[in-house]
Order: sequence, then structure tokens, then C-alpha cells
Amino acid sequence: MKFWEYLLKIDRRIVFLLVGLSVLIPLIFPFRIKTNVMPYTQKLFDVIEEIDPEAQGILISADYDPQTMPELHPMFIALLRHAFARKIPVLVMTSYIQGPGLAKQGLDQVTKEFNSQAMTNADSLIYGRDYVFLGFPPLWLAAVLRMGSDISQAFPADYYKNRTASLEMMKKIKNYNDIGIIVSIAGSAIPQSWVVYANTRFGVKVGSGATAVTAPDFYPFLQTGQMSGMIAGLKGASEYEYLVHTKYNLTGPTPATKGMSSQSIAHLTILILVVIGNIGYFATRRTRES
Amino acid sequence: MQRTIPLMIVLIIGIAMLIQFFIPHKISKEIYMNFLDWLGIIASFALVLGLGSLINHHIDKIQRKREHWQYSWVTLISILIVAIIGLFGGMEGKGPLPVQPQIMIGNKLIVIKYSIQTIYDNIITPLGGTMFALLAFFMSSAAYRAFRARTFEATLLLIAAFIVMVGVVPIGYYISPKLPHLAQWIMDVPNTASKRGILFGVGLGVAATSLKIMLGIERNWLGGGK
Repeated sequence: MKFWEYLLKIDRRIVFLLVGLSVLIPLIFPFRIKTNVMPYTQKLFDVIEEIDPEAQGILISADYDPQTMPELHPMFIALLRHAFARKIPVLVMTSYIQGPGLAKQGLDQVTKEFNSQAMTNADSLIYGRDYVFLGFPPLWLAAVLRMGSDISQAFPADYYKNRTASLEMMKKIKNYNDIGIIVSIAGSAIPQSWVVYANTRFGVKVGSGATAVTAPDFYPFLQTGQMSGMIAGLKGASEYEYLVHTKYNLTGPTPATKGMSSQSIAHLTILILVVIGNIGYFATRRTRES
Repeated sequence: MQRTIPLMIVLIIGIAMLIQFFIPHKISKEIYMNFLDWLGIIASFALVLGLGSLINHHIDKIQRKREHWQYSWVTLISILIVAIIGLFGGMEGKGPLPVQPQIMIGNKLIVIKYSIQTIYDNIITPLGGTMFALLAFFMSSAAYRAFRARTFEATLLLIAAFIVMVGVVPIGYYISPKLPHLAQWIMDVPNTASKRGILFGVGLGVAATSLKIMLGIERNWLGGGK
């Protein structure tokens, strides 16, 4: 009987150790695992594929902070690669005070990747011509509403203190009419606010990148079409990496894909622990009842 | 008077904003844009007030030696250091005082950029990541202890959690190619139905509360107890 009781009360330090090892070992010795693309990831990818780079740009809002960075930053990188590979003008902003640092890191990394392979000036990614980093607006909601009529008014200066209206790209992209899709990458309900204030009011398409925990909140919006697609969790990020890298033959690092072996084993470990707990529970139930 | 004027402002502005939403006229849009400017100005005051209030709270805590008062020093010193670096170093070390201390470690010369980005990359990012990573351990321990098939409802929850947890990771496909689709169905149908119900409730609640504030029935936002 003691064995069954032990199954019910495994020391939490052992649980922590098992989970730690199930994350760490596959990270050190990763194994290849087939990527099965889910419909909402594919949908977002397809919407971005349909954007005409001559007519419209894409706005990526990095609405996350370092806490959710491991899950969300790979999405940001994959989206940037997708947009740059298609030569779509990219606008980046953030609604989190801690967001600009991460957005800048991501932009620097991806532009470096593309520029290292560029052969001509036209192939290169040039700030102000191909992408603009708007930074963080102190009053996010007012900025979102104002961008509907004039982006340069909502952000008179960009992150680097340039006059936004003077940038070459901004002469083409004035307001939401010139944006093919807004993708909000967040670990909170921010994408929902983008739907309410940008999609409902101005009709611009909105997509989201969400942590696995917050993703279920957005399903009602995906079903109604108010949200045009979603990358959900690290798995979603790995799917997007797969789609972009396969289609455009890109070679940059794919942290989400690498994390999949760890995540798979960690999930299985937790499930095995839950099964063990339940076996112990049923084996000792009669004793407890008597 | 102290209460009547703010209540009147809220009532008039609230109704004006409500009406302008349905009138896509140039004047209406102009008024709306002006209100957005005001919003920015008010928010700037709120920022100063918030910072003042935070500093006062921690100074008071230290003076009265309340529980965990030592941590208040950490907050105050952090505010001071970040403010100095922000004001004189700027976001990327291009401020009016671009000092760049240099340290030799072995043969390597390390230049410390006097900027907010340095603090961000070296302190905020690792600390934030560590805090969130700890969640994985606590969640797994909690799942092991709490996920017991005690009742019919708990069993249903357990089965759904099982399918979703395995279905959303790539290994689920190897267990059964149908598992990811089953997980997707759970997210698409039962999950969305419940979420939609909650959203309707929240939406109606927000509308009711907004109306109560505009009509002066709900006055908690005015502060000052009764």
C-alpha cells in the first residue's frame, strides 16, 4: 500500500527535477520532429502572402516583454523574415514600455541577416525605405485610434527621433488604408483591443501571435473573421518558421523549431505525472473510504 | 461643487463621444482628435502623479519600517539609477553624458554602454525570462497534484486537458495523426462557446458600468470614500 501512497505524494522537488531534465536534455540533444501546420497559422501566412508590396505594408506590433520573449520573439522574427522576403514595407511598434528593446533586437537581427546576403542596393533593407520602427506611444489607445487617420500624427517622431513624415516609406503609408494587416504579438489581451479599435472601427485586418495560455481567448474572433489568423504558442511559431523557411529558402536560426523537442517531452512528462497521480488516487481510494 | 463639476464633465464628454462615433463628419472627427490630444496631456500628468505616489509609498514604508521595508530601498535606488542613466545616457548611450566604462577581463576589453538598452539587455531580459520560466515548474507540480478524476466534471476536464496538451505539440501527431485535429476541435467548439459567453457577459458589464459612470450612479472613481 505504501507504494500507491507514494505515487500520490511525490516530492515536488522530484517533479521539478523531472520537468527540468525533460526540458534540458532535448535542448542539448534535439531530435527532428515533423511540423504539422495548424489552420490558423496557415491562414495568417496566406493573408500576408496576398499583400501587394507595391500598394500596402504590414504593421507588426511587438506587444510583449522579456517574460514572454521565449515564446513570442520567434514569431516576431519569423514574421519579419516573411515580410522582408516578400519586400513588403514593414512598420514596427509596441504597446508595452518594455517592448522597444526586444523589437529593436529582432529588427537588428533580421535586417543584418538579409543585408549580409544582399548583392545590390535594391536587395538591401534600408531604414526609412523598407522598414520603420515607430517605438512606443505613451498613450497606446489614442495612438491606435489616431493611426486610423494619420500614422505620422500618432507618431510625429520614430524610435530614432527622425520626423516620421519625412521618411520615404511613410510617404506611401499614411494610415490603416495602406496597411495590409496588423499583427499584434502579445502575451495578454492586447490583440483583442486591436480588433476592437482598429478592425471594427477602421476595417483593417488584424492577426495575432499569442502565448499558448492566452491563445484560447482569441478563438471567438478567429471564427467571426475579425481576426485573420493566429500564431499560437511556441508550436505556432515553429509552424510559421517552417512555412517561411520552406517557401523562401531562408537559413537563419529557428529557435521555435529547436524548442519543439523540449516542449514535446516536457508535455509528455507532465502527462505521465498526472497519470501516476491518478493511479495512486484510485489505488488508495478504497482504503481512504473505509 | 467639487463633485458636481467632474460629474458634469463626464456626462457631457461621455455623451459627446458616444454621438460622434455615429457621425463621420469632418467637424466631429476634428473634435474627436482634439479629445485624443487631451487624453495624452492628462496621461502625462497621471505619470507624474504615479511616480510621486510610488516614491512616497516606499519612503513611508522605510520610515515606518513596515514588513519587507528593505525591498523599498531596492525600488528607490533602482528608480534613481535608471532615471540618471535614462536622462544622461539615453536609450542607446547617445545622451548628453555618453560615458562608456571599460573593463578588462583576461585579454578581452568589455565596453559598458551607458544606456537604458544595456540595463534592458542585461538585467530586465534575464530577470523577466527567469520569472516566467519558473511558472513551468509550478504549473507541472500543480497539475500533478490537482488533476485528479474525483468527479465526472473533473474527469471531463482531465480528458480535455490530456488531448489538448498532447495535440498541440508535434509529438501528438506521432501518437495519432487525428490527435491535433481533436485538440483543434476542443479549442474551436467547446472552448469558443464558453469564451464567447464570457465575452458577452464582460461586454454587457462594461456597457452597464460605463453608463452608470456617465449618469453619476457609479462614483467610486471620484475617490474620497462617501
